[in-house]
Amino acid sequence: MTKEAARYFVSRLVTTVLVVFGAMLLLFSLTTIVPGDPATALLGPQATPEYARRFIEDMGLDQPTYIRLAKFFGNVVTGDLGIDVISGRSVSAMVWSVLPSTLILTFSAIGLAVLLGVPLGIFAATHRGSVVDHVLAFTSVAFIAVPSFVVAIFLLLIFSIWLDWLPVLGAGREGDFWDQARRSILPIVSLSLAWIGFIARLVRTSMLEVLGENYIGTSRAYGLSERLVTYKYALKNACIPTIAVLGVGVGRLLGPAVLVEIVFARPGIGRLVYDAVTSRNYPVVQGAVLVVVIVFVVINLIVDLSYSAIDPRIRRGTTSQSQAK
Amino acid sequence: MNALREALVVLRRVCVTFAGGTGFIIVLAVLAFALFAPWIAPQDPDRLDVLHRFAGPSAEHWLGSDQLGRDLFSRIVFGASVAMAVALTAIAIALSTGTLLGVLAAFLPPRSERLILILFDVILSFPNLVLALAIVAVFGPSTTIVVAVAAITLAPNFGRVARAQTLTLRNAPFLEAERILGASGWRIVVHHVLPNILGPLIVLASMDIPIVITIEAGLSFLGLGVRPPLASWGVLIQDGYQFLSDSWIPVVVSSLTLAIATLGFTLFGESLRDAVDPRIGRER
Amino acid sequence: MTEPLVSIRNLKLDAATSRGTAHILRGVDLDIGRGRIVGVVGESGSGKSSLASCLLGLLAANVRVLDGSIKFDGVDLLSLGEGQMQAIRGTRVAMIFQDPMTALNPLFTIGTHLIDVIRRRSPKVARRDALARAEEMLRTVGIADAALRLKAYPHQLSGGMRQRVMIAMALLAGPELLLADEPTTALDATVEAQIVSLLQALRRNISGSIAFISHHLGLIAELCDDLCVMYGGMVVETGPVADVLGKPMHPYTSALLACEIGDDREGRLVSIPGEVPDPISETQACMFAPRCAHAIERCRGEVPRMRTAADGRKVACHRFEELA
Repeated sequence: MTKEAARYFVSRLVTTVLVVFGAMLLLFSLTTIVPGDPATALLGPQATPEYARRFIEDMGLDQPTYIRLAKFFGNVVTGDLGIDVISGRSVSAMVWSVLPSTLILTFSAIGLAVLLGVPLGIFAATHRGSVVDHVLAFTSVAFIAVPSFVVAIFLLLIFSIWLDWLPVLGAGREGDFWDQARRSILPIVSLSLAWIGFIARLVRTSMLEVLGENYIGTSRAYGLSERLVTYKYALKNACIPTIAVLGVGVGRLLGPAVLVEIVFARPGIGRLVYDAVTSRNYPVVQGAVLVVVIVFVVINLIVDLSYSAIDPRIRRGTTSQSQAK
Repeated sequence: MNALREALVVLRRVCVTFAGGTGFIIVLAVLAFALFAPWIAPQDPDRLDVLHRFAGPSAEHWLGSDQLGRDLFSRIVFGASVAMAVALTAIAIALSTGTLLGVLAAFLPPRSERLILILFDVILSFPNLVLALAIVAVFGPSTTIVVAVAAITLAPNFGRVARAQTLTLRNAPFLEAERILGASGWRIVVHHVLPNILGPLIVLASMDIPIVITIEAGLSFLGLGVRPPLASWGVLIQDGYQFLSDSWIPVVVSSLTLAIATLGFTLFGESLRDAVDPRIGRER
Repeated sequence: MTEPLVSIRNLKLDAATSRGTAHILRGVDLDIGRGRIVGVVGESGSGKSSLASCLLGLLAANVRVLDGSIKFDGVDLLSLGEGQMQAIRGTRVAMIFQDPMTALNPLFTIGTHLIDVIRRRSPKVARRDALARAEEMLRTVGIADAALRLKAYPHQLSGGMRQRVMIAMALLAGPELLLADEPTTALDATVEAQIVSLLQALRRNISGSIAFISHHLGLIAELCDDLCVMYGGMVVETGPVADVLGKPMHPYTSALLACEIGDDREGRLVSIPGEVPDPISETQACMFAPRCAHAIERCRGEVPRMRTAADGRKVACHRFEELA
C-alpha cells in the first residue's frame, strides 16, 4: 500500500470513529433532554416509586451527566449496551440475536437488486430508445418513489391473500430452510424493488456516459467485439458509481427493512426496536440504534476502501508518477 | 419579475415530457386536495357511522367506509392536508437551517467548517427511520416530532449543497468587486450568494417532498407518527392493514393514494431537476 | 505504378447539427500508395479527422456518408456491413489517437490493452506468449522497463509514454493501413520530437501504409513521402512531399508554407487573412476563394476539380497553370 493510500485509509477510519462517537453522543444526549425525571421516562408510568428509586441507583442516573457520559462510552466500547429493564436480559444479547435476520434480509435485497438491476441497466444502455428502455425508465421511477412498506402490503395482498401462492407471515419454522426461504421471498422482493429500479437507472446512466468516452472509442477502433467492449471494459468503468451507491444503500435500506419486518411479522431489529419504542424501553432502543449505526458506518467504510480494489487510480495515489520518458 | 418568468419557462419544460406532465398533474391534485379539503371532502372525516362499517363504494361513501364507518374518501382528502403540512413545514425548516449552516461552513475557517461537516455526517449516518424511532422513544409520538425528525434528516443534504454552491461562488469576481466596494459580509450573503444558490436547493426541496411524505407515512403506519384526530395516509394504511380480514378496500385505497402521491412528486421533482440541469441534452 | 492501397473518390460527408447540415467533406479525392507515408495537413475544421474516422467506419451518430467511395485494396469500404468493417479494424486498419490521456482505459493495465490487440490476430495465443510479445513491442517503441510497464496503469505513465504505448498497440495489430490522427498534438514540443523520430525509426517495422494527419507542416515534411493538403472539406493539392513543399501549386499551400516558414520580408508574422470556412455554407465555389489573393470571378462561381498537374501531382485550382 502506498503512502497516499495508507493516508486515505487512516483518514476514513478516523472519520468513521468520529461519526460513531457523534452518534453515541447524540443517543446519550437524548436521554438527558427527556422532560421530567429520567427514571419515569425510561420506565414508563407503571414503575412504582420504590422500583424507580432502585432503578436510579442501579443505573447511576443520579450521578452528574459527565460521569454518566463517560460510563456510557466505556460500556459501549466494551460491548455492554446495558440491561433491558423490563426483561432483565442484556441488550447486547437481544440485539445480536435478531441482527442476523435483518442483515440477511437487507443483504439479500441488495443482492437481488444488483442481480436484476445491473443487467437491466446494461440492456437499457445498449438498446437506447427502445420500448424496453422507456418502460424501464418509467417503472424504475415508480419503484423508487413508492415506499417499500406499501409495496410490501401490495405484494402481501396479491401473493399471499388473493393468490395464496406464498405463506403469509412470520419467519418460518426453525431449522426448516425451505419454509424460511419461502417466507423470505416477499419481504426480500419488497425491499429490493426500489433498488432494482435505482440501480438499473444508475447503471444505464453510467454506461451511457462511459460508452461515449475516448477509451471506448479506442477499443472499438481496434475492432474489439461489441460484447468485449461492453462487458469487459465499459462495465468495469460504469461499476464505480454503482458500488458507491450500494454502500449507502445497505444503510438506507435499514429503515424500510424495519417497516417490512413489521408488515410481514418477522423477527428482526425492526420488530425489536418497534416493540421497545412502544413500551418506552429506551435502553433497548438506544442499543439497537447504536448497533444499526455502527453496522451502517462500517459497511460504508468497507465499500469506500474497496474502491481501491477496483479503481487503481485511488490505490496507488491519484498523482501519476512520471519517470524518464 | 424576472424570476417568475424564469420559473414559468422551467415549468413549461417540465410539463412537456410525459413523466413531468403526469407528475405535475398529480402534484396539483394533491395540493388542491390539501388546500381545499373542507370543500372537496363530501363528509366530515371523523364522523362515525358504526352501523355502516366496511361499506363498499356507494353514492354516499365514494370509496367506502373504514372500520368505524368513517367516509374513506373524505379521510383521504384530509390526509393530503396532513401530508402536505408536514412535508412543507419540515422542508422549510430543513432548507433554512441547512442552508444557513452550509453557507456558514463555506465562509468559516477550516476547523469550524470541519465540525459542521462532521455534524452533517453524523446525522447522515443514521438511517432516517431509525433516528426517528430513537427520538420517538424518548419524547413520545406526536406530529411535532415527525416534522422535527424529517427536518433533521434532510437538513444535512441542504447544508452540503448550499456549501458546495457557495464555495464555487466564493471566488467569483463579482463577489470580489462587492467586497472592494465595502459591502458587509451579511449583505453579500443575502443579496448575492443566496439568490445564486437557490436553484439546486429548490430542486432538492422538491425531490425531498416524497421523502418526507414517506417518513411520515411510515411513522404513522407504526402508530408513532401523527396523533388522532389528525389522520394521515399512514394511519389509514395501518387501519386498513389491521382490519384486512374484514375488507381489503381501505388498505388498497389508502396504499394506492400514498403510492400515486409519492410517484407524482418524484416524477415532478426529477423532471424539475432535468429541466434545470444544463447537462441534460447529452443522455436522453 | 501499382494500384494504391486506398483510393478515395468524391467522398461527401454530412453532419446534422443544431445549426443545420454541416458539410464536413465536400467531395474528397485521395490516393494512399502502398508502403507510402501520406501526410494529411489542414487547419481544424478541414475535415481531416473525419476522413480518418470514415476509413475506420466509426462515424458519430449524426454523421452520414452522402456520396463517394473508399476503395481499400479494391473493396469499397462504404459497401461493407458493420460485421465486415469490424473484422478489418484492428487487423488491417489501425489508428493512433490524438489524446493519449483519454485514449487508454484507466482501469486496465497496459498489458491488458496490448494483449487484447494481439488476440485479435491470434485468438488462441497463450497469455504468457502474448505478454512476451507485448513486452518486446514496448521495448521496440522505446519504453524502458517494459516488463514493469506491462503491469502499470495508464495514469502511471507520462503522456509521451502513453503515446508510445498507442504506437505499440498499432504495430501489434500489424495493419496494412495505419492512421495517425494528430498523434503529437497533445504532447509538448520535446516529447513531440521524440515521437516523430520514433516513427521514423519504425518505418522499417511497418510494411503497410501510413496516413499521418496533422496541422503541423514541419512534422509532415520530416516524416512523410506524400503530402495531401486539405481545406474546407476538400483536398486542394496532393503530391510527393518534397515536390509540393518545394514548389506549391495551390495558393493555400503557398500561404500555409509562408506561415510555417515564418516572417515575411519585413519580418512580421505571416498569417492568412480571412476566416475559416463555415461547414454549413452551401456555396458552389472554391472554398478558399474568400481568402485567396489570386481569386477571380470563376473561383467564386465554380468548384474547382482535382486535375493532374505533373507526374504524381494533383491540384484543385482553376488558375494553377498560370500561377505556377
